[in-house]
Amino acid sequence: IAKTSLTSPPWPEVKLPDPAEEAKYHAEVVQKVNGMIAAGQYGRLFAVVHFASKQWKITSEDLIMMDNVLEAECGDRIRMEKVLLVGADDFTLIGRPLLGKDLVRVEATVIEKTESWPKINMRFWKRHNYQRKRIITNPQTVLRINTIEISPCLS
Amino acid sequence: RYVRQLQRLQLLFSPTAADARGARQFVEEEALDFTRRHPDVVLYVSPRSIPAPLLLAEYLNGTVREELIASKTSEEIVQLATKLAGQSGLDIVRIRKPFHTDNPSVQGQWHPLTNKPSALIVQGPRLQPQ
Repeated sequence: IAKTSLTSPPWPEVKLPDPAEEAKYHAEVVQKVNGMIAAGQYGRLFAVVHFASKQWKITSEDLIMMDNVLEAECGDRIRMEKVLLVGADDFTLIGRPLLGKDLVRVEATVIEKTESWPKINMRFWKRHNYQRKRIITNPQTVLRINTIEISPCLS
Repeated sequence: RYVRQLQRLQLLFSPTAADARGARQFVEEEALDFTRRHPDVVLYVSPRSIPAPLLLAEYLNGTVREELIASKTSEEIVQLATKLAGQSGLDIVRIRKPFHTDNPSVQGQWHPLTNKPSALIVQGPRLQPQ
């Protein structure tokens, strides 16, 4: 059959490696990463956490503010589950979609429970003598991420 | 370790004014419970001849907030006091970002030349592969 411009797709054909070889390679990489974690050769860890219907990229000692009320008092330590991604300088652990709870541990403390700045909610119709003004203050909580820890429990 | 940002709460009211009734009820009934629940806040109660009862809150960075408690029930005053106890002394202004980090990038910040092969390896139509 003659080869035309539409016989083969325009993207380059990729050959997948052998599944057995691939499994061996995966096991080797996992062992190496486990060894690195156990030896403690990572510097700063960052994590992507799903919290309060938003995804945050957090490191240790940083501040996060949410527009809601948590049921924890000021000064309580909170453990965040629902960790999507953990990364360090040389390796990253990607979850599908979440990582195991025995792998990662993210701890935070509630620092502050305040209200937001007073927002003005005004409705006005011209020539109808109609205006309503309302001042809204949303409750907010400020968290500080204390630590992100990982343990060598990969498989 | 958590340090409460509220230093002291000063309750100024007059024993005879009619709008300080809530403040007087708060002092009689709920002040002790409030201090037991928040042991690291100092509550000063000073009955003076003041036209309107005030609740002064001083924070560790020096900001002083005054709240009027005239004609408020004691439960409202308790809620106000707990809200002030949870706040810090920063100004309540529009905050542009809900997050703050000192180290924003861990694996190095992205610039348009990351993940691209360097110019020495790329083979152009004229360069002969050596």
